[in-house]
Amino acid sequence: MGSLHDSRIHKWFATSPPVAWTFRQLRELLIGSLKQGPIPQHVAFVMDGNRRFARNHHIETVEGHNLGFESLARILEVCYKTGVKVVTIYAFSIENFKRSKHEVDALMSMAKVKLQQLAEHGALLDRYGASVRVLGQRELIKPDVLLAVDKAVAMTAHNKKAVLNVCFPYTSRHEITTAVMKTVETYSTPMHNLPTPSKRTFSESHITQHIRKQMLEEDADGGAEQPESRPSSPSSKGTTQAEDSRSSSTSTAIDPPEKDASNGGPPTYLDPESISAQTLNDNMMTADAPPLDLLVRTSGVERLSDFMLWQAHENTSIVFLKCLWPEFDLWQFLPVLVEWQWQQKKLQEEQQRIRGRSKLD
Amino acid sequence: MATTGLTSTQEAAFRRSKQLSIQQREELLKPFLPSEPTSSSDTASKKALSDRTSQTTKSRKTGPVKTFLYLAIYHTIALLFSIFFRFRRAYRLVRGNIISLLKYHHRTPEFIAHDVKNLEKMPKHLSVIVEYQEDEGGQGTAGLEGLVNDVCEIAAWAASAGIPLLSVYERTGVLKNYLPQTHASIWSTLESYFGPQRKPTLSLRAPHLSSYSPPNTPPQTAEDEINQGRKHLTVLLLSEHDGRDTIVDLTRTLAEMAQKGDVRQEQINTDLIDAQLNDHVSSEPDLLILFSPTVMLKGYPPWQLRLTEIFHLPDNKGVNYQVFLRALYNFAKVEMRLGR
Repeated sequence: MGSLHDSRIHKWFATSPPVAWTFRQLRELLIGSLKQGPIPQHVAFVMDGNRRFARNHHIETVEGHNLGFESLARILEVCYKTGVKVVTIYAFSIENFKRSKHEVDALMSMAKVKLQQLAEHGALLDRYGASVRVLGQRELIKPDVLLAVDKAVAMTAHNKKAVLNVCFPYTSRHEITTAVMKTVETYSTPMHNLPTPSKRTFSESHITQHIRKQMLEEDADGGAEQPESRPSSPSSKGTTQAEDSRSSSTSTAIDPPEKDASNGGPPTYLDPESISAQTLNDNMMTADAPPLDLLVRTSGVERLSDFMLWQAHENTSIVFLKCLWPEFDLWQFLPVLVEWQWQQKKLQEEQQRIRGRSKLD
Repeated sequence: MATTGLTSTQEAAFRRSKQLSIQQREELLKPFLPSEPTSSSDTASKKALSDRTSQTTKSRKTGPVKTFLYLAIYHTIALLFSIFFRFRRAYRLVRGNIISLLKYHHRTPEFIAHDVKNLEKMPKHLSVIVEYQEDEGGQGTAGLEGLVNDVCEIAAWAASAGIPLLSVYERTGVLKNYLPQTHASIWSTLESYFGPQRKPTLSLRAPHLSSYSPPNTPPQTAEDEINQGRKHLTVLLLSEHDGRDTIVDLTRTLAEMAQKGDVRQEQINTDLIDAQLNDHVSSEPDLLILFSPTVMLKGYPPWQLRLTEIFHLPDNKGVNYQVFLRALYNFAKVEMRLGR
């Protein structure tokens, strides 16, 4: 950390032209040489530690987020230069809406401006041919922010070389649920009108919430003798929840579905047995991205925090780093990458050995 | 930095005599931008691209030299880091061994209880990932026997530390085929730790299989009062099948129900899936301990991992007590002090 004075001298030194030039050349050299080895195709970052960094350095939280964004720009450059195809970042969790309104608003306006900056003509994403995709629950984004986000996505849509996935209001459980829902929708739509677009103006979660609220009210009216045993909030888990949805499903099934009436005759469906992990995979928000190779989380927290649960559960190397996100740069990322390459090499050797042994047998 | 090198447009830009159009501004910046990505997306600009590449071939001419330099640096870095990694591994192994010497449990629950008594926070649900190694290493930890051995030890530690629920993830799920035998082994290990009088009661279960707690074990006689003071340990065996496959199964069931009109698409939500997986597989563990040198989840049930603390000891290989202990210390955010 050091005092402010020290850091100023340090900054002056680091930004003096010859030193800056040398550093830039060194970076280029390192990135160029890293490229000679295997490179992860899909890297995910949990950008954790902006707030702690701000606290440690006695600056505004928002300023910490700003520095975090700069760090992101640096690391994106490193990634795309070394040849990473897809970078996924955890920008904003659905849980983060619980933070103070001031901070959420600041983050939102930051997202608005920064995404635009990233996507601008001649800016970072354009230079490396990367397109932006926004993964998450769009209906939670405010309209003005959504507009800016969509604009950024549209501006970079023609880029095909690389992808930047911005997870913005995202949680992995929501993603998995959506994938399950989409699959069920596909399989419960009769065959001949299969290719109906799934775009609707209503939000499913909103409707569900409404249904549940209605059900709760009914329950409160009907079963007044045991109102305490009922779950009072939608987040309360357990079997009661499951029973609720069961009972509601039987009660709602009484009115016949309109689809059948319009089609006439028994509808034919796809066979549910043909659903596989791949089907769900294709319905995930990261459907066309290569499998996640590397997941980096900064600030020493060793948790996934509802990020990439589905994607990271198999052969992903998960790395937890002690440094805070605004401090994260090539110099922290380099050992991670080299270690990943080293592991990859060892894995290959092992596979070869196994193959050799099986050949001997 | 003399002003002589400026073209007219640049000068105009500096003097701000008039606003430049977007194209002019782009032209200004072009020399300072890195060269265009080689495989551009739109085919229309192919021609412009070829023009530009012919321009940049001058800088590309140094290709072989640069490639050689890159290769050389790459191999140097790889070599240096591999030396570094090896030394670090050696250091960590030595350190780990010293810690395991200092913090040995002596197969006595009191020692383990003493080790963890200062921890304010203990996981209610502990999960571990163990590996089934086929004749690898040859340190007596191979095969089914080694696996059962590992599970028994971990179960005994967890019981001693007072953790009520332990889930053991093992990719292939072989142990699920030997539920009674595994139960017997854990049972006898617990007996060797606690002695026949004080050993905790044990139930062993696996998703989709009925719980196994043999009738003869908790004697429902006059000893019942003593039983009250005993701890109970539940061991849950998980395998790869309980991960993605189970979510797929759930989707199939839901799709089937939706086809019959039993469930509507809007009714599928996170809570429903969570409740189902909670009941049929396992709840969210508080702490996950990996005994492997790196963090790779190897098919661990994804849904359950949401907020789970993941602990691994870098470069550690194999199940041992110090990893277990350090994971608990880490979970409680307590620095481990060596020596008592």
